[in-house]
Amino acid sequence: MKRLLVLALCLGLSAAVPPAIAETKNPGTFVFLWTDDILSFDPAYIANTPSSYGVLNVYSRLLNYKGSEISEFVPAISTEVPSLENGLIKEGADGSVSYTFPIRKGVRAHQVGIKGADGKITWEYLDKLTEEQKASIEPGYGEITAEDVRYSLMRAILQGQSWMSNAITEVVTAGKYTDIAKWVETEGKVEKIADASPEVLRKVYDQLASQFTVDGDKVTLTLPKSFPATLGVIALPFGTSIVDKEWVTDVGGWSGSGDDWIKHYKPELAADPLFDKENGTGPFMLEEWDRTDRRITMKRFENYFMGPASLERVVMRTVPEWTTRRLQLLSGDADYVWAPVEFLDELSKTPGVKVTDGLPKVFGRGLFFAWPLDDTDNPALGSGQLDGKGIPPDFFADIDVRKGFNYAQNYDALLKQVLLDKTVQSRGPTVRGIMGYRPDSPIYTYDPAKATEHFKKAFGGKLWETGFTFTAYVQEGTPQGTAALSALQQGLQRINPKFRMQIQSLPWASISDKLNNREKPASPLTYMGWGPDYSDPGGPLGAASYYLSPTGLVGGMVGQGYRDLMAEKFKPLLDEAWASSDPAVREPIYAKLQEMSHEYATTQFLWEDFGYIVTRDNIDGYVNNMILYGAWDFYPIKKAN
Amino acid sequence: MLNYALRRLLMLPVVMFALSLMIFALQMSLTPTQRLAAYAPSPDYLKGGQESIRRMIEQYGLNDPFYIQYGRWIGNVLSGNLGWSETARQPVGTALSSLFPATMELVVLAFVPGLLLSIYLGSRAGIYLNKWPDHLIRFFTIVGWSFPVYVFGLLMLLIFYSVLDWFPPGRLSHWAQDVVTSNQFVRYTGANTVDSLLNGNLPVFFDSLRHLAAPAISLIYVNLASMTRIMRTSMLETLRQDYVRTARAKGMLRRVVELHHARRNALLPVATIAGMELATMMGGVVITETIFDYAGLGQFSAKAAANLDFPAILGFGLYFVVVLVVMNLIVDLIYPLLDPRVKTK
Repeated sequence: MKRLLVLALCLGLSAAVPPAIAETKNPGTFVFLWTDDILSFDPAYIANTPSSYGVLNVYSRLLNYKGSEISEFVPAISTEVPSLENGLIKEGADGSVSYTFPIRKGVRAHQVGIKGADGKITWEYLDKLTEEQKASIEPGYGEITAEDVRYSLMRAILQGQSWMSNAITEVVTAGKYTDIAKWVETEGKVEKIADASPEVLRKVYDQLASQFTVDGDKVTLTLPKSFPATLGVIALPFGTSIVDKEWVTDVGGWSGSGDDWIKHYKPELAADPLFDKENGTGPFMLEEWDRTDRRITMKRFENYFMGPASLERVVMRTVPEWTTRRLQLLSGDADYVWAPVEFLDELSKTPGVKVTDGLPKVFGRGLFFAWPLDDTDNPALGSGQLDGKGIPPDFFADIDVRKGFNYAQNYDALLKQVLLDKTVQSRGPTVRGIMGYRPDSPIYTYDPAKATEHFKKAFGGKLWETGFTFTAYVQEGTPQGTAALSALQQGLQRINPKFRMQIQSLPWASISDKLNNREKPASPLTYMGWGPDYSDPGGPLGAASYYLSPTGLVGGMVGQGYRDLMAEKFKPLLDEAWASSDPAVREPIYAKLQEMSHEYATTQFLWEDFGYIVTRDNIDGYVNNMILYGAWDFYPIKKAN
Repeated sequence: MLNYALRRLLMLPVVMFALSLMIFALQMSLTPTQRLAAYAPSPDYLKGGQESIRRMIEQYGLNDPFYIQYGRWIGNVLSGNLGWSETARQPVGTALSSLFPATMELVVLAFVPGLLLSIYLGSRAGIYLNKWPDHLIRFFTIVGWSFPVYVFGLLMLLIFYSVLDWFPPGRLSHWAQDVVTSNQFVRYTGANTVDSLLNGNLPVFFDSLRHLAAPAISLIYVNLASMTRIMRTSMLETLRQDYVRTARAKGMLRRVVELHHARRNALLPVATIAGMELATMMGGVVITETIFDYAGLGQFSAKAAANLDFPAILGFGLYFVVVLVVMNLIVDLIYPLLDPRVKTK
């Protein structure tokens, strides 16, 4: 009996065992293994790149980026890309600028509303409907109209949840308000949005609504003044993704009313009705999101308005262990895996595996100087004096210290040995592809003689005599950051053995605490990285503003001294560039700002990040768009058998 | 016996309360900004600078005194709400209840055969002391003991998945996943093996077994050594007891004496270790689950801890207290069954 059972078990197992790989596994299905996770399927909620992988594929936008171009667009739900030439961008006499989007007809969402005999609407998948059932589709229910476009953009703004949605607020107000809360607080003269009266909330809603005009199949967005990054924001796969108003209302979302929008302001993730469901118009439909198994399955939308995708299905799974991902790739069970950079060479020589390497990114890495520093209960400063056992709080206020540090870094060694020659040194806040980047702008190189010269001038010559000791911080699990700090540490030691920089790895929360939780920053030198949220260097979330504006996010973290320098030297130029919509006027200004970031040694700009993908060799069609941070648009992907 | 069990169970809320207080106190040693990181889905969400951070701290009441924050949490727990896990993107209770069947499935498949095998091997080694079966078993278990679980797991994966393509990682193949998520397949327990049998779907059952085989074998082998050696030592000690000699002197068959008299009494220390082993496994086997891409409680708890996902850490802590107390109780209740001299007073 026992033998019989064992035999039955073996037979059963062998029947379930597939044959050794002879052909493509899972034809038509793209299996995508990564280490990230999607936060939500609500376009108005998300802001980070991994989350955009879902929204990008299930929703559509008015415009798309043209392939890998970051400043050129192609029509999507809008049938044309607005421009001055085609008359869809108009400049008003009062300085206002309007953008008109003609809405494509016949764009249907994945689910459409069918009116039953009792007059009740039920939502059915369009792909599953018979021709007869299609005749019962209720007009507007699952059909994208100009009103849906207006609703989608207003919903993202009023929900105020993510900074990518708040970027639309900045567009609409031409940078006057960073988010809807600021708008309400200013309008209502209250400290918190929660204190605003219903009248104020209604007034803000009316002001916002007046900027979106629906005229038949056209939506016109009117800005009080020029905001050059407008189209760049509109094409991003976040809050500008178009949802169906009737469906959102039906699943418990905002109805579009100006009287109750505050109830839908900043919802908790779990309370957001669009968190785990979608009804977009994109090439794929969310079939299943198993958050326990960390698996997302998306199915092809046969009625996609640009024609069905080549792939039938996409399965995205979070697999934290590299060896497991690797073996699944090699066995053909996975079509894409996220791979650690150190394995790229080995993988590129593996049969059946394709490595696409050196993909540019708009993300720059650097060491951020901060001044003045918090000297209360701050071990990073040592003694807090310039006595060789510490540093004073204004250590990096001295430009010669900053320049000395920048000449003490061995950039070439980092690029060659750590980054394996796959990328280039950063030339400033503006990286390749962004306006103002020039390949011949000045950069720092490892030059001990120049570093010595600057260090000898610093603090009237006292620094060279006393030396210094302080702690620099890097986030745990970032070996490249640790390598950059180690290279700098060695460079400083070679220049003067009295120059002692300690390196400490901390969880990100602790670093954030040091930079954000005090009146003054507590971390003198921090390894961080950042990329712009849209391709224009200006505007609140543009590369140049981020680094060089006194109100930019870097300024917010690295101290009043840095902010003062930005206000005095950089802000006038930033304002001048932003006031113009003429690229010929703007480009030289941003190039000048880039040079000034070198001249004032504002930050130690290290390198531009690079991207790569590792797939099976039968996978084609991947498009790397830098401003989408390489997000996978599965629509053009092809899997050959 | 019943009174004893009830008394032990009544201790459960007290232990849970003490543990929750300890974990809560521990998290309060972090600053509000650090704790806020637990509520931010990624560092990017704190990108808004100081103003945004201030607002979020206010929103989550992270500046409130300890007792208010704890009171808020315990109030929610008592009303059945363990909070929202940013790690699992779902309520903590839902995450625990949906991951529990997966872990249980693996634990049962690894623990039961592992326990039986170690009892068998331990007894044999004890009976054949210093003879070749003993040497062989000791060698076999020492090798298992020497292998770190991640090394053995990776070896299993390399041989049985990469080379032979028998036991793939994950819980199900894509085709089986499609079956399980279809409307025709009824989810009774969340355990794929059980549900597939209840649905009468043998292909899914065997596919599920294929995915369970490698992690289960790894766990069995790596955990075998300790229990086998304890069983062997215990068996040796029991075989030297007077009653064993008496039984043999009375003319009872050697096999009957060894397997029915001696082995039963030798099981007592194994029961203690096995109870603890089972409790630990029910808390999730982090490394095995990670290597074999098996979504269970171990991976979840490890990720929650790394993400400082406090609602999940607290929820998991409470779950684990229940498991430990219940397992201890079961072990205590098993003792008198194995040895009637032991009374549960």
